[in-house]
Amino acid sequence: MLGIFGKIFISATFVVAILSAIFYFLSASRDNDRYFRIGNWLFGLKTLFLVLASAILVYLLFQHQFQYYYVFNYSSLDLNPRYLWSAFYGGQEGSFMLWIFFSAFFGFGLMKWTRKPYKAAVLFFLMLTQVFLLSMLLGWDLGAFKLGASPFRTIAEEMPNAPFLRANPDFVPADGSGLNDLLKSPWMMIHPPILFVGFSMMTIPYCFAMAALWKRKYNEWVNPALPWTLSANVALLTAIFLGGYWAYVTLSFGGFWAWDPVENASLVPWLIGTAGIHSMIIQRKSSIAQKSSILLAILAYVAVVYETFLTRSGILADSSVHSFVDLGLYNQLLAFMLVITGLGIGMFLWRYKELPSPQKESNILSREFMTVTGSMLLLILGLVIILGTSSPIVGKLFVANPTPPEISFYNDWSMPIVMIMAVFTVIGQFLFWKKYDAESLAADLTYPLLATSVITIATIMIGDVRNFYYMIYLFVGFFAVIGNGWVLIRLAVQKPRLTGGALTHIGFGTLLIGILASSAYNSPLVDQRTANYNAAVERGEITDEQGFTVTQKEEMLSLNLNEPVVINNEYTVTYEGYELDNSVRRGQQTYKIKFEPLDGGSAFYMNPEVYPMLTSSTEDNIQWSVDPDVRTGLFSDIYLYVGGSAYVQERNDRLEERKQVMQPASGDEQEDGQENQAQKILFNPGQTIDVGKFKIRFVNYAKTDSADLPPNTSIGVRAEVEVIHPASNQIFTIEPLFAVYAEDGKSFIYSPPSEIAEHELSFQFTRINPTENNIELTITGLEEEYGEEWVLIIADEKPFISVVWAGTFILMAGFSVSIFRHWSREKRKNNE
Amino acid sequence: MKPKLILGIVAIVGFTSMLMYNFGESISSYTTFETAAEMGNAHIPGTWDKEKEANFSRETRQFTFYMKDEAGNSKKVIYPKAKPNNFEQADRLVVIGEMRGDVFYANEMLMKCPSKYNDADPGQFTKASEG
Repeated sequence: MLGIFGKIFISATFVVAILSAIFYFLSASRDNDRYFRIGNWLFGLKTLFLVLASAILVYLLFQHQFQYYYVFNYSSLDLNPRYLWSAFYGGQEGSFMLWIFFSAFFGFGLMKWTRKPYKAAVLFFLMLTQVFLLSMLLGWDLGAFKLGASPFRTIAEEMPNAPFLRANPDFVPADGSGLNDLLKSPWMMIHPPILFVGFSMMTIPYCFAMAALWKRKYNEWVNPALPWTLSANVALLTAIFLGGYWAYVTLSFGGFWAWDPVENASLVPWLIGTAGIHSMIIQRKSSIAQKSSILLAILAYVAVVYETFLTRSGILADSSVHSFVDLGLYNQLLAFMLVITGLGIGMFLWRYKELPSPQKESNILSREFMTVTGSMLLLILGLVIILGTSSPIVGKLFVANPTPPEISFYNDWSMPIVMIMAVFTVIGQFLFWKKYDAESLAADLTYPLLATSVITIATIMIGDVRNFYYMIYLFVGFFAVIGNGWVLIRLAVQKPRLTGGALTHIGFGTLLIGILASSAYNSPLVDQRTANYNAAVERGEITDEQGFTVTQKEEMLSLNLNEPVVINNEYTVTYEGYELDNSVRRGQQTYKIKFEPLDGGSAFYMNPEVYPMLTSSTEDNIQWSVDPDVRTGLFSDIYLYVGGSAYVQERNDRLEERKQVMQPASGDEQEDGQENQAQKILFNPGQTIDVGKFKIRFVNYAKTDSADLPPNTSIGVRAEVEVIHPASNQIFTIEPLFAVYAEDGKSFIYSPPSEIAEHELSFQFTRINPTENNIELTITGLEEEYGEEWVLIIADEKPFISVVWAGTFILMAGFSVSIFRHWSREKRKNNE
Repeated sequence: MKPKLILGIVAIVGFTSMLMYNFGESISSYTTFETAAEMGNAHIPGTWDKEKEANFSRETRQFTFYMKDEAGNSKKVIYPKAKPNNFEQADRLVVIGEMRGDVFYANEMLMKCPSKYNDADPGQFTKASEG
């Protein structure tokens, strides 16, 4: 029922949004204030409908109304309430809603703060993008094609042909299929909202640029657009950081960046947006670069839409590790992209001749030249990454059925580009605040260059850097940090509000150094034997059974319970067992890996986890998922996850056995008999005996309650037995009973089994030998052949990953300083 | 024309052709086991051949399984890492590596899991694969 209201509200939002866009259009073209006010009212109404629709979706999620497909697909009864919020944007439909919501929110800001002549035109373009986004949520069946996919469709609408729904159209699943375990992370709760804040803010420079082209006012738009663009950039950067950090601590690919299309989808708009910021800043200063500012503002949003198209249309299905839900929105997304791009580029070309050109060419050693070049480099980098991401489309020019490019394509092209950028940041910053000729610039740069050289050489020697390319890379990275630091110190004294640029560029240099250190000097933690083996592989000395040279190195560490292993001549590593925990996720194992530094530092534990993926596991098929553990240090991180363990193996084997037992062909009785083979073991009081994976201790005899005994009992005694499972540190105490009773003149022994359900063990106290002072326990459920308790660890030492984060934070701080500077200036103007 | 403009055009054309050339070199076609024998680094899509054994050996620390490529050939694949998380769940695999003799050595492996949307059979209720 509520779902119908939801659909109606979304349809209403769509219709009102179109009306609002029409009024804004009329207001802009006729310069009419009344139309503008009507547009605003409609905008408000549209937002109200959208909020109502979102509230309904939230309500359905919190009420677990699983007859709705979206609720069924992304949530479940046991989902923690805070992740019910994540479920809201866990799917495409909800994330479109979130995007429109933020866009509407910022629309009010534009309404309040934008001045004439751009006001109505800016809001018209904003509404245009919202109309397209809203159309993705409609779920209108127009006969020939479907418009959008509604988050309020029911399971019956979703799967009209499913047999169980044909039989029972009112079927409501008892539970939802749940949110993907990997997304149950605090980082993933805040990442999507921040990303969509970034996407919707990045719409605003597009709107301003288009309004400027429409209203033929090519200069003033930059002032109000700049703080928006800067804010969009900080939001995108934060989202990229959160996504990278989440990938690092949650996924097992072992890094924060993999050039995956989804990651590129947020990086490219950021790069082009940053290019736009550079161009706008220089346009404000010296009235040049109007053309590039407009073009870059348009392209930044086109990049957002293009990447949205790539990631959501299903076109990248083969090339991305992430699986995308293909909602069949291909045509709509394509139309959205073509209209936004066509309109943007079309308007730009139409007005091209009118756009002011610089009067005279600028000198190479000028801030204009340096900044515009920097902006072009950012654009080129963005385009290179777009090219790589577009391989399923562009690749068809070269080969049929194209694969994504090798990672080296991205690295080979981005490295030289960022190296040139690094040099330009310093020269650009020097020239930005003071006029120089070649000679005076060289003089002023002497000390920064000297300091850079000293630090680079020291780093090369300490870090044993042998690659010449890396040496140059390090040099320019340090140059960016030190050169911009120099500018920062000079500025900080006089005009601290203007330090945004210098600070940002320091962050950029820091990031470069961090990226090199953490990725090129990443080393797997392996024991001596594996290290020797890997060295031999590198020399090409190892051949396999077929006589081929082995090229694959081993990067795993096999540990047996409580057997210390020395790795990398740095640590003694000991596997001290695991703990089973059913409270968070049923069957989750937390492993205890102890690290003792050989140089005498204090020992620490790392606790990687393995758990069954609830969303995709079934009774007889468990999908194991791993949760890595990261120990963050100032100089290096240790990153580690479990590749396999005796416990997981055993559980899988047991499932496999059960499957075979359930197959009717095999003689199940026989199998059962084998598994239940009993073992009889004699114990003296106080004695501990190792049986398989357990230590079993007969503590002492214990008294028994006469109520438990059969009638006519002559002897009745219990044995207090401790069963210790060292791997998981569990101790079970049981008291099996031994009784002798008489019936019909004969003596019988009564020994009921005591169970330990968790390990499927059963104990019977079957005999007492008073003469030898021992007892006999019959134990059922012990495996005939028990393996050792082992765990396979994949561990990496990643140096200076902290520097990557530090660089990112400095970048954010730098951009934020700039936001305040440009925003307070805008506010003053608004108050005038 | 001004010499600067010519220089600019030459630079752009040069850069673009280098970029495109390198891009063309760094991508390849999805292929099959048969043609992979003549290639260096091959991307082969296929499905896990569940008929044949698949296991992770603790001695060699390799995960070995059989994959059926799109031509229907089933070949042994050696993957020098632990069995990936969602291996069984994947309805499609892409192995990246090289063919040596009759064995494919995968350096990387991508799993394509059935998207939840297409997979209207979450196991909790009756079969609904037509959905």
